[in-house]
Amino acid sequence: MWVAIAIGGIVSLLYFSYASVREAKGSFSVLFESFVLSAISLYLLFFLALLVLRYVVMILYSFMDHVESMYKKRVAPPPIYREESSLPMISLVVPAYNEGIVIQAAIRSLLQLDYPNYEIIVIDDGSSDDTYEKAMAVSREQHDIPVRVITKRNGGKAEALNTGMTLARGEFILNMDGDSKLSSNTLRACIRHFENPKIGAVAGNVKVVNRENMWTKIQALEYVEGLAMARKAQSFMRVVNIIPGPLGMFRKTVLQQVGGYDSDTFAEDCDLTLKLLMHGWHIAYEPSAIAWVETPSRLLDLLKQRYRWTRGILQATAKHSHALWQPRKAGINCFILWYMLFESIMWPFSTLLGNLFFAYVGIQYGLASLLFYWWLQLTVLDVVAAAYCVVIEEEAPSLIFYAIMFRLFYINIIDVSKVFATIEEWRGHTMTWGKLEREGKL
Amino acid sequence: MDLISILATVILVTTIGTMVIGVGAYVAFKLRDKRKPTGKRTDDTLNKEGPQEPIFLKRYVPEPTDQSAPDER
Repeated sequence: MWVAIAIGGIVSLLYFSYASVREAKGSFSVLFESFVLSAISLYLLFFLALLVLRYVVMILYSFMDHVESMYKKRVAPPPIYREESSLPMISLVVPAYNEGIVIQAAIRSLLQLDYPNYEIIVIDDGSSDDTYEKAMAVSREQHDIPVRVITKRNGGKAEALNTGMTLARGEFILNMDGDSKLSSNTLRACIRHFENPKIGAVAGNVKVVNRENMWTKIQALEYVEGLAMARKAQSFMRVVNIIPGPLGMFRKTVLQQVGGYDSDTFAEDCDLTLKLLMHGWHIAYEPSAIAWVETPSRLLDLLKQRYRWTRGILQATAKHSHALWQPRKAGINCFILWYMLFESIMWPFSTLLGNLFFAYVGIQYGLASLLFYWWLQLTVLDVVAAAYCVVIEEEAPSLIFYAIMFRLFYINIIDVSKVFATIEEWRGHTMTWGKLEREGKL
Repeated sequence: MDLISILATVILVTTIGTMVIGVGAYVAFKLRDKRKPTGKRTDDTLNKEGPQEPIFLKRYVPEPTDQSAPDER
C-alpha cells in the first residue's frame, strides 16, 4: 500500500510539474529539469521523514533502556557470582600489530582491573616494530595476573583474535584492541550480564581519550551519540548490531559455536556480531564498561578509518544478505540489516544529494535560503541528540557545540568518503587493511 | 540583506567548500595509500672485488673543534 501511495505521489507531482511547464510554454530542458528537481525534492522529503523518525525512535528507546537499567538495579536479585572465588575466569585477548608505542601502557592498565580471576593474552600479529619485545618486558615482571605473549606471522586481526580464542583458558573471553585502555570495573560490569543464559556477548562503551583538536573532539561526540543513543536503543530491543572491537566480552563456547572471527571482511567485529544474532544469541550493552581509545587526529587518517569501516560493514551486510529478504525467518535480524543499509548507504548518499540539490537551487535560482533551512533542520536534530546523549553519558556540555561543527563541515567531508567507498565496494575494488599510526596518547 | 540571506550565503559557501575539500581529501588519501617505497636499496659493495674494509666497526671519534665547552677553556 505504501509503495502504491509513493508511486501515486510521484506521478501526480510529475503531472502537475508537466502541466505548469506546458502552461509556461517551457522547452524540453526546462521540463526535464523540473521533473528531476521535483523527484529529488520528493525523495529528500521522504528521507527527512525517515531521519526524524530514526532520531525520535532512537531517543525514545535509549531513554527506555536507561530507565529499565535503573529499575533493574533497584529490584534485581543478588547476582549469582556473589562470592569472589565463584567468579568465572576471563581471558583478555589483546591483538597487537605495530602497537609498540602503546602496548605497555595498555597491558599495565589491564593489570589494574578490578577482578580476581583473569589472564591476559597478547597476540603479536607479526609486528615489524618492537611490540613483541615491549609486551614481553611487561610479562616478565612479577604479577598476580598471568600475562602470556604469543607472536605469530602477520595474518590480520581476525586471525590474531582466533589464536587468542584457541589459547584462552577462561570460560569467557574479552576481546579488545591493543591501543585501548579499559575502565577498572569492566570485567565485573560485563560478567553479570551472562547470568542470563540467552546472552551470548556483551558490547562495551567506547570513549575517545585524545580530545586534543577539533577532529578528535567531534569524533568524541560522534562516539557518545553512537553509543548513548543508537547502542542503548538497540540494547532495549536486544539487537545490538556491532560489538565494538575495543571492548566485547563473549562466552567462549559461543565464539567456538559460530567459528570465531572470519577474515573475509574488513569489519570482523560487525561480521561476528551478525553471526551471533543469526544464531539466535542476544547481545547486551554495558555502558559502565568503558574502553578509552585513541582516534585519528588528522583528516587523512580519519578518512582511512571511515573508508575501511564503510566497506567492512557493507561486506558484512552482503555476507548475511539472505536475511534481508526473509523477514519471517530472520525476524528482527532482517530489520537490523535494513537499518544498517540505511545508515551506511542511504544516509550519506541522501545528505550529499541534498547538499548538491540545494546548492544548485541556491546558485541557479537564488534560493540559498532553502539550503539554509535544510542545514538548519539537520543541525537541530544533531544538537537535540547531542544534548540528550551528553546528559545521559554525563559528558562535558562543551561537546554539544561540536554538533554544529559536525553538521557544518565534518559530516560533508566524511560522507564524500563514504559514498566513494560504497561505489568502490560495489565495483569490487581491492583494498588493504588500514593501519593507523598511533601517537601513544593513552 | 537580512540575516537569513547572510546565513544562507555562509552555509552555501561552506557546503560547496567542504564538499570540494571532501573530494580533495579522498583523492589525497587514495594517493597516499597507493604510494609504495621506490625501488629496493642495494648494497653499494655488491659488485666490488678484493678485500673490503669492514663497515660499522670503526669507532667514531669526534674531531676536536675550536669551540670547546666553557669549563674546558
